[in-house]
Amino acid sequence: MTVSINGTNGLVFNDGSSQATAATGFGFKNRIINGAMVIDQRNAGASVTPIAQQYLCDRWKFGLTAASKFTAQQNAGSVTPPAGFTNYLGVTSSSAYSVSSSDVFYLAQAIEGLNISDLAWGTANAATVTLSFWVRSSLTGTFGGSVGNNGTTNYPFSYTISSANTWEQKTITIVGPTSGTFATTSAAGILLSFSLGAGSTYSGTAGAWAISSFIVQPTGATSVVGTSGATFYITGVQLEKGSTATSFDYRPYGAELALCQRYYYKSIFAPISGYSPTTSRADGTVVFPVPMRDAPAALETTGTASDYGVYFQSGGVLCNSIPNIASPTTIHGGYVRFNCPVSFSIGQGCLMAPYTTGAYLAWSAEL
Amino acid sequence: MIYKMLPAVEGEPQIYARIDDDGLCRLTCTEDYQEFKDWLAKGNTPEPADE
Repeated sequence: MTVSINGTNGLVFNDGSSQATAATGFGFKNRIINGAMVIDQRNAGASVTPIAQQYLCDRWKFGLTAASKFTAQQNAGSVTPPAGFTNYLGVTSSSAYSVSSSDVFYLAQAIEGLNISDLAWGTANAATVTLSFWVRSSLTGTFGGSVGNNGTTNYPFSYTISSANTWEQKTITIVGPTSGTFATTSAAGILLSFSLGAGSTYSGTAGAWAISSFIVQPTGATSVVGTSGATFYITGVQLEKGSTATSFDYRPYGAELALCQRYYYKSIFAPISGYSPTTSRADGTVVFPVPMRDAPAALETTGTASDYGVYFQSGGVLCNSIPNIASPTTIHGGYVRFNCPVSFSIGQGCLMAPYTTGAYLAWSAEL
Repeated sequence: MIYKMLPAVEGEPQIYARIDDDGLCRLTCTEDYQEFKDWLAKGNTPEPADE
């Protein structure tokens, strides 16, 4: 077997195959979850007008200080994604809003500390990371974002969009911070943000770590919120260890979904086995597909009691109030309670179920 | 948006219903729910449970 090495093709094997880049972390190298915006459990591709800290595509949240300035949607505008991608997250400015010094608008993902502990940020051994992403905007100019710990240590970065309405890939290498506190637990370790407009309170100096409260962009970055109808689309977001951007870490859909479900799990039209501990209610458990980051403290529903029902020995009956979370709910499963206007036999087995097709139960353990 | 107590169940933590501005309840939570804690921190108080 003959193996040659040259400066053009890298390693070339005798079967003609070659390896042009170093073999660093082929799989699960991306610390970002759902960087290709494939998973959208909450909105299933529907457009939303986000409120503060509302989640869009899974793991991606919207930060804002003024309501109703944007709409957001998986594949907003239905443009063709970059080659190799099928989805993106898009936001559209709803008006021409001039930010005040204390305004901020951004897309962000918090990375769990357990998933960045090897970066040793905040120590003398802090690792360099490289951020890469595809972005497309109706605006051109210098845009901004930041990496930090969402509180006291921030690194604002800038990038240039040269052509309007054209996908461009951006790469930013960040030398790890040797000071600051970055959680290595199940709490948020790193917050990655892409600014859509911010005032001076949330702006800083590009390309340098700063000990400061939350900064989302370099001073003077393009304000997407400042132009009515302006669009900002993003996908292929990858944050990896090292000083080189490598190809996007495509993971199997099921694996990516499971990663998302550690933080949010939406069970749509799925029945639950339960029993009746009293004459007017049924209790049951939802086993989470993967252990969640933390025990969920809330249960989301459609808001309509009659979307849910209980089937028992005498037939089916609709709920007369919204199903509610109950105790004990843990990282492994949720305890849920359906209330009905009938007289169950205590101890009777039953099937608790969403009654309409789109009805769901959802649990969040987001950061 | 307000929070309202659900009727207490003996031996279990208090559960709260979030009532949105349109009058619908789309979320129930325990006192550990961060948004609920933030709402309390603003000086709000949950409504008592229905009798």
